[in-house]
Amino acid sequence: MKSCLTQGPVRISDISNLLAKGAGYVDRGGHSLFIGQVRADVSDNKRITAIEYSVYEDLASAEIEKIKTRLFSEFTDIKNIEIIHSAGIVKAGEIAMAVMVSAGHRQQAQQACSMVVELIKERFPAWKKEIFEDGSFRWKSAE
Amino acid sequence: MDIEVLFFGVLADVTGTGRKHYNYVTSFGDLKHRIEDEFPEIVHYSFRIAVNNEIVNEEPVLRGGDEVAYLPPFAGG
Repeated sequence: MKSCLTQGPVRISDISNLLAKGAGYVDRGGHSLFIGQVRADVSDNKRITAIEYSVYEDLASAEIEKIKTRLFSEFTDIKNIEIIHSAGIVKAGEIAMAVMVSAGHRQQAQQACSMVVELIKERFPAWKKEIFEDGSFRWKSAE
Repeated sequence: MDIEVLFFGVLADVTGTGRKHYNYVTSFGDLKHRIEDEFPEIVHYSFRIAVNNEIVNEEPVLRGGDEVAYLPPFAGG
């Protein structure tokens, strides 16, 4: 599995590891962290219990590198970008994505983190199968 | 030429497979027609094409051993 992917939900320990990796660098004044979580939405009177993510791993890896390259060229104060995305089944309430951007100052950390999330929504080759409480499923289109 | 084709998302369900090998492919158009003949329902879905991990916007020129991927609209995050 590619380094940007984790099988099943992103674990709290994965996020702790991101924070630990960012600590100690004296050139970083801010870290911005985004955590994406699966909602138990109701559709057609059925509640979502989980989402199954399928990911085109090779393309995902290439797209993550392109996103990072673009961000480093547009935000000169960024020091590091970390991205973890789930593959496979993630239950409602569990975490499906984590992004952490570290920068010299908070403004670029926050702006760049927001941009990374939007670019993942647009460019990351993943597909969501919504699984409902009665066992039925539906492919979800992009938001 | 031999071409490996990958189907993702809803297209994996439509075709009943995530991966299929095609022999004696003469061009992308030939491949596309063969896939449409085999899985007629596929024409009702929107998708993009990637060749060897690069999304292409025009009809690609294929070479033997290429990997072609059928990609429905992304829904990551």
